Amino acid sequence: MTHALPWLTLLIVIPLAGTLAVFLAKETQARLIALAATIVNLLVSLPLWWLFDASSTGMQFVEQAVWVSAPPIRYHLGLDGISLPLVLMTTALLPLCVLISWKAITTRVRSFMAMLLIMESAMIGVFAALDFVLFYVFWEAMLIPMYLLIGVWGGPNRLYAAIKFFLYTLAGSVLLLVAIIVLYFQGGHTFDILELSRGTYSHSLQMWLFLAFFAAFAVKVPMFPFHTWLPDAHVEAPTAGSVILASVLLKMGGYGFVRLSLPMLPDASKTFTPLMVALSIVAIIYGAYMALAQADLKKLIAYSSVSHMGFVTLGLFMFNQQGIEGAVMQMVNHGITTGALFLCVGAIYERTHSRMIADNVGLTKPMPRYATLLVIFALSSLGLPGTNSFVGEFLVLAGTFLWSKLATAAASLGVILAAAYILWMVQRVAFGVPSPQHLPKLKDLDQREMATLVPLVVLIFWIGLFPNPLLSRMHASVTTVIARVTPASTTVSATMSAQPHPVPASADPASLAPAGEPSQP
Amino acid sequence: MVHVSYYLILSAVVFLTGVVGVLIRRNIIAILLSVELMLNATNINFVAFSQHLQDLGGQVFVFFALTVAAAEVAVGLAIIIALHRAKNTINVEEFNLLKW
Amino acid sequence: MMFAPGDLLVILPELLVITAACLVLGLDPVTPPSRKDGLAWLSLGTLAICMGLTASQMSTPASAFGGIVIVDAYACFWKLLLYFVTGLTVLLSCSYLKEERLYFGEYYGFVLLALSGMMVMVSAADLLTIYLGTELMSLSLYVMAGLKRAEPRSLEASAKYFVLGAFSSGILLYGISLLYGATGSTRLPAIAAAIGGRGLDDPLLLFATILLAVGFGFKLAVVPFHMWTPDVYQGAPTSVTAFMAVASKAASFGAFLRVFVEGLGGLKANWTEIFLVLCVVTLILGNIVALVQTNIKRMLAYSSIAHAGYALIGVVAAGVAGGSTGARNGIAGVMLYLALYAFMTFGAFSIVAMLRKGGLEGEEIEDFTGLATRHPLAALLMLVFMVSLAGIPPTAGFIGKFYVFMAAVEAGLTWLAVLALVFAAISAYYYLRIVMVMYMREPGELTATSPRLVPSPALSIVLACAVAGVVLFGIYPNPIVNLATHAVLTLK
Repeated sequence: MTHALPWLTLLIVIPLAGTLAVFLAKETQARLIALAATIVNLLVSLPLWWLFDASSTGMQFVEQAVWVSAPPIRYHLGLDGISLPLVLMTTALLPLCVLISWKAITTRVRSFMAMLLIMESAMIGVFAALDFVLFYVFWEAMLIPMYLLIGVWGGPNRLYAAIKFFLYTLAGSVLLLVAIIVLYFQGGHTFDILELSRGTYSHSLQMWLFLAFFAAFAVKVPMFPFHTWLPDAHVEAPTAGSVILASVLLKMGGYGFVRLSLPMLPDASKTFTPLMVALSIVAIIYGAYMALAQADLKKLIAYSSVSHMGFVTLGLFMFNQQGIEGAVMQMVNHGITTGALFLCVGAIYERTHSRMIADNVGLTKPMPRYATLLVIFALSSLGLPGTNSFVGEFLVLAGTFLWSKLATAAASLGVILAAAYILWMVQRVAFGVPSPQHLPKLKDLDQREMATLVPLVVLIFWIGLFPNPLLSRMHASVTTVIARVTPASTTVSATMSAQPHPVPASADPASLAPAGEPSQP
Repeated sequence: MVHVSYYLILSAVVFLTGVVGVLIRRNIIAILLSVELMLNATNINFVAFSQHLQDLGGQVFVFFALTVAAAEVAVGLAIIIALHRAKNTINVEEFNLLKW
Repeated sequence: MMFAPGDLLVILPELLVITAACLVLGLDPVTPPSRKDGLAWLSLGTLAICMGLTASQMSTPASAFGGIVIVDAYACFWKLLLYFVTGLTVLLSCSYLKEERLYFGEYYGFVLLALSGMMVMVSAADLLTIYLGTELMSLSLYVMAGLKRAEPRSLEASAKYFVLGAFSSGILLYGISLLYGATGSTRLPAIAAAIGGRGLDDPLLLFATILLAVGFGFKLAVVPFHMWTPDVYQGAPTSVTAFMAVASKAASFGAFLRVFVEGLGGLKANWTEIFLVLCVVTLILGNIVALVQTNIKRMLAYSSIAHAGYALIGVVAAGVAGGSTGARNGIAGVMLYLALYAFMTFGAFSIVAMLRKGGLEGEEIEDFTGLATRHPLAALLMLVFMVSLAGIPPTAGFIGKFYVFMAAVEAGLTWLAVLALVFAAISAYYYLRIVMVMYMREPGELTATSPRLVPSPALSIVLACAVAGVVLFGIYPNPIVNLATHAVLTLK
């Protein structure tokens, strides 16, 4: 299907145009221009939700143009049910990032806003790119703006955190580049992600490529042993930086796994499943356990991110409808909920200039609106039924249950620990006794801040109560991914028939048929 | 008729003398002279091969090499004089403003 | 060999450049100091005319003087790059020389003489012409490095450059003489024919190959023949350093590829091993030593050494791939790498030159402290150049690395690509240190009180050209990629 408007190019170009405008404008107008650009981008992205054809398995809103003639690199964009929610989440969060930085950022506002806008283009580019080199370009293009966001506008230890973030992610992604080039020569001299996903590669090659992909994506997610940059980066980054980092950047790792690792390297994915599951469960429990011990709100949320992202990788490597749909849900939900929590921390930091739990206790009395929102976000974070996170975590656990009961039990432990650290945090921040010297500073949220946070509350309950519009849109795409992974292991000979779409795709998931409407909480 | 290999051995000895000279001498004039030795070793080679191969190309090359060597010495001496004026020494060990 | 007047037409660009050089040298004594800029304009005009001539020669390969000079697409590619870089050098020098109080009109004469040497190097098809071109370039550069006569540092750089340059020329020449003895000719096609398929049966040939590799190793500044580079780059006037780092390296690569691909192609199995070792040690040492530098010109010197290592990956890949399209891709990768490297390195040195203002040397990394507040635009440009040097998309540096890595993987050297990328990640650390100093530290007392930075119009043009190249070719590399693939040499 073709659409008259180049939607995705618009989504990438509008923030860049905004960047240019910000640079040309006066320092005082930078905020307004950035806000306008992000809101326009949100408005442009919204029609995609309705224009999207949920029954189609292919890419939609496709745009193609030759970028480099030799080797053939194309400007190839498109969305499916997996990337659509992530793109919408990105466009929805960016105006909030601009709003929360309205007063918090006082130095070099123009550059700050420009960095946010460049980030937005690059992030949308990553989710929409269907050419591997294009994907890599967007993937890497994010490094420098993020490095500057942390390093220039961050906290006291920002230099260390910025360079640590940069070197970790860069070191992870250099192997990705080699893997892309190797795939080009092994996969029929093309960089097209869709074509590469149809090829078959020898098992040993898949193993190497999987490890190279893993290095890039696991650092971004971040999976357990590669997560150490995350707490540093989160703590030092300005609020908007933390939101982008937690809500969108981490998703790129999970998105990389589901878009690239699973369809291109199905055999290796199968082989590595036990390792991936083990690392995910370790991340879930370790992240939650570390979160219990944090006195710094941002660190607590950072470690809770490690835990929540463990659910994403766990679900992805279940190779069943519930698992992968749950993982994508969890990505979107984590983006909304964790983003909201970081926004809350940012709001309180503006008042007390401390992120310590001990300095921010008993906010219900002086800041009732704030406390209410915080409690909602916190409950969403621990996965209370009726909120968005419940849907994702439930689906992931249901998917895991089909694979191993032991793994499900272990992962559930993470949910229980999440309840512990979240409730412990809420108890103190919302319901303790405020220290008198902070009391005068504690003004409740103003209209700007309410405008930042309330949309997220709406999203939390909307997804929590009516997940089906979202799930139905990703259903066909997830089926395609599973069809790609599953037949490869059961019948290796099926791949020899050289059909682009293996027949079992429609026949095999009969057992998964009930997954169509898996969750009505 | 002297066989070409004798010329080659001679030129190799001269060349190596030049190389060793560049590496161990500390007076920049001596270094310059050692470089000249290297160039002249080359000239021996060219002439010997030219005779051996009955090809004039090698001798033509010698003319050019000699000319270039002369130009090189001119530039080199000019630099050394300027340096001597500035630092009152031509010992390379005392050229230590820049780390080696 | 008959002399045909038509041959002069083939080398018309060279003749024009040499004529202009002589004209500048002759006019200089009669030009008052205030009018010296006129000499720069004369040089620029010549370059513009030559650019047109060379562009028109690109599609019609010609040779002159019995085949010792070849003007093919390959030569034209390098020449166009050299004109461009020389033009930028002249523009950069206009303002930089005033800041340094160097009112030498001869300066532009030397630039043009060096350029003519480089032009001869890249279009030479005979070892004699290559040697003459190399010497013409080197002799001019020795003098230019020492132009700051009042400053011992500059003279010292000049002397070191001279000693090691003359030494390496001696080695190169000795290698040429042995090659002549082994093959009976100095003409590259004749050498290739004499070597044919016989391989390394002659010890003379072996020594000749090694000596040529060492001699070119010095000119290309690859480890372990790099030791002159940091000293010379640091001591020479910044405009000269930029010229050396970009133009002389490009011309040396041009001649180097011509000799080893067209002349010694039959020995590719042997020289590939040599360059593989040189490439690996260059990547390692260049990047590691750059980490600890405190002077930016020195750091950029080590960075340029490391970049020669990246370019050598393409040479090695071409050698391993042999006669297939893989070899073409490797060589095209080298050409592309150096062309793109020219933009970012020249840009970085231009910013260093711009910082030279009043009492501030602008050469220590500390001098960049808080540049983002003092001059946001300069800091932004430096950021772009550093990011590009680190090879991060969407900049030209990424495109250059991408193509040499493609060639490496195609030739089966995946491990080399991985190694090079790991060191590219390490290199990001020292490039980002500049960014960190510019953006994340407040200006200190010395830098805060230094005079305001206002780039002259000429410098602005230089920076605009450099940044446009880095960004445009990073986003849309098609034109320059096609140019390089069109002009590539064939390795038989």
